[in-house]
Amino acid sequence: MVRTFRRNLLKGSAAVAGGAMLALPARAQNAPLRVGIIAPRAGIAGTVGECGLRGTQACTELINKQGGIAGRKVELIVEEETSPKDSIDRLRKLVLQDKVDCVQGIVSSGVSLAMSPAVEDMRALTIYWDGTSQDGVKETIAKPRFLFRSTDNECEAVMASLLAIKYWKGQFVTIAGINPDYSYGRNNWAAFIALLKRFGIEHKVVAEQWPKVGTMDLNSHVAALKAANADLIFSSMLFADLPVFMRTAHAAGLTEKTKFVLPAAGFQHTLMKKDFTPENAIFGHNTLYFADPKASPEQKAFVAEYAEKYKDYPHWEADRAWFAMALYKAGYEKAAKAKGGEPSKADVAGAMAGIDVMSIGGKGRMREDHIAEQPFHQGLSTHKNDYDFVTLSTVETMQASNLQKPPGQDFWKWIETANISL
Amino acid sequence: MTAFLDVLLGGIFHAAVLFLVAAGLQIVFGVQKILNLACGAFYAAGAYVGVAVTAWALSRGLPPGAFLLVLIAAGLGLAVIGPPLERLLRTIHGRDDAFQLLLTFALLLVFEDVFRLIWGANPQSLGNIVMQYGSINIGPTRTPAYNLLVIAISILAAFGIGALLQKTRFGRIVRATAENRRMSAALGVNTSRINALVFTLGTVLGTLGGALVVPTAAASLDMAAELVVEAFAVVVIGGLGSMRGAIVGAMIVGLLRAAAITLMPEMEIISIYAVVIVVLILRPWGLFGKPAT
Repeated sequence: MVRTFRRNLLKGSAAVAGGAMLALPARAQNAPLRVGIIAPRAGIAGTVGECGLRGTQACTELINKQGGIAGRKVELIVEEETSPKDSIDRLRKLVLQDKVDCVQGIVSSGVSLAMSPAVEDMRALTIYWDGTSQDGVKETIAKPRFLFRSTDNECEAVMASLLAIKYWKGQFVTIAGINPDYSYGRNNWAAFIALLKRFGIEHKVVAEQWPKVGTMDLNSHVAALKAANADLIFSSMLFADLPVFMRTAHAAGLTEKTKFVLPAAGFQHTLMKKDFTPENAIFGHNTLYFADPKASPEQKAFVAEYAEKYKDYPHWEADRAWFAMALYKAGYEKAAKAKGGEPSKADVAGAMAGIDVMSIGGKGRMREDHIAEQPFHQGLSTHKNDYDFVTLSTVETMQASNLQKPPGQDFWKWIETANISL
Repeated sequence: MTAFLDVLLGGIFHAAVLFLVAAGLQIVFGVQKILNLACGAFYAAGAYVGVAVTAWALSRGLPPGAFLLVLIAAGLGLAVIGPPLERLLRTIHGRDDAFQLLLTFALLLVFEDVFRLIWGANPQSLGNIVMQYGSINIGPTRTPAYNLLVIAISILAAFGIGALLQKTRFGRIVRATAENRRMSAALGVNTSRINALVFTLGTVLGTLGGALVVPTAAASLDMAAELVVEAFAVVVIGGLGSMRGAIVGAMIVGLLRAAAITLMPEMEIISIYAVVIVVLILRPWGLFGKPAT
């Protein structure tokens, strides 16, 4: 009796094991693709990460509804982006413990710069949403294999500078800058000055302010700007400190005559209230302008759903996140088709280089050097709308191919020599 | 002239808010000998609760012009957190100073997570409400009337604290306790009660500062830690435990910061801490403090 039971148990176990082995390839093919997301959820960049996450979730839901990526559903595992060291630890956790197929996210330039070597070291297929500075491109891995970076941060400053020259040439001489005190703010301001020189615009810098990111008491900074009495103020502040700055500036009477160039204001667009944000300021929405009258049906549907679900309107981080997921889908399916089966991470990385990607903000591409190119949207602010915040009276769109340096070139030399048109 | 006035007004406004928090630090240290790193958390609590209560009151039909009263009430109402926190700190009374620093720093971090839990990661603001009071022309320049009100409230608070400590029986008992706790206790002073009251007063000064500053800024998770650093610069310059030191220290820090931002922005932090270093070397007890005996 006992012997029979043991024999049956062994037979049964063998059958189960055999069945499992037979079923393994099929199950692997149908198992969900695991995508790890690292995004800030707290602090000054918390709103940015939140918007990006919502973009990822919306894109993932759409992909899953349409049958997944090459037939495999997408499953998200979300981790928080904090300091460079802790964020790298979370990348390791996603890759080594959760065994994700792809990592997406990252907003901070500081984190992206520090994380890049770890990405290559772990051969972790990774697509950054943001945090790519021109200097960063120069300083980090020259020929990444598994790392795919976002469109350069400075594109928005280049475009806003070009618009300032186009709209206001001859209308300003004295200029002042108030920019966040890290590479992004410094580079943006330097790019503005470089472009003024490039186009022979007479100018005189009368004040340079470098508040730490997140400084909320800006009374003294505004006092300094007032004292400088500039014709034009350029500010690439982009977090919650920007509305505070504009409110303080308005209360001090600074918005009455001064022209404002705000390349990254779109990050805070719903907080840029009409009460204190002047009309005719150059206002950058980066790669997604939620109210673009020429928007694609996908963007319109996304914005409508976002507004209904969150009682808010999305900014560009949602588009960056959407672009990253759409890029992964396009690359994976291309690689799967070429291989006729499940592609490796290296196969997918190879397929993503040079591929066109349709995101909600418009058509972009991933360059061969793993830097994204996406369209940028900016224009002049207006109060003529149904919202309590400013929108654009005119929408100008430029491709990143005209705003960021080509592969291998030095950004500052490119500004001096590039064939940039207004 | 315009530039000078702008810098002066910006600096005094910053000093006014700094004074409130530093005064709280001073009074608590003066009596309880506690270096309260949690003062930054009280400041942030005032800001967060100020935003929440004001937004709620406005949604219930409060005339927008009355928002300042609500903010003051919110700041004062937060006195309720003083006694339980003082009770907690009593558990380490008499131990090494490091325990106080660690516990009050832990409180700062706990508060930060409580704010995150309740209000999330996004900075909270009152939008454009600060413009309810308009702007005032002062000579050739213009400044928000609200900023002047905050400066006025801060001056009133300074006189009020001075009067409380110098002219009232309670103030005499507090000063006596600060001078010699054991003797005061021997003479029948309920020092535990005095501790609780003084700590609550220190808490309220911090929460009031946070509530008053928030219309011109925003409540954010980083604000607690940032303010602690500046508040300690104030007390080091002014002298630990001295109320006059808090006033002078706050003015020095506020005006130095405003001047540096205008004249040489890169020197914003250095200018303050250069003074701190000089004071620590030449007069370690601060401008108005007493040398250790």
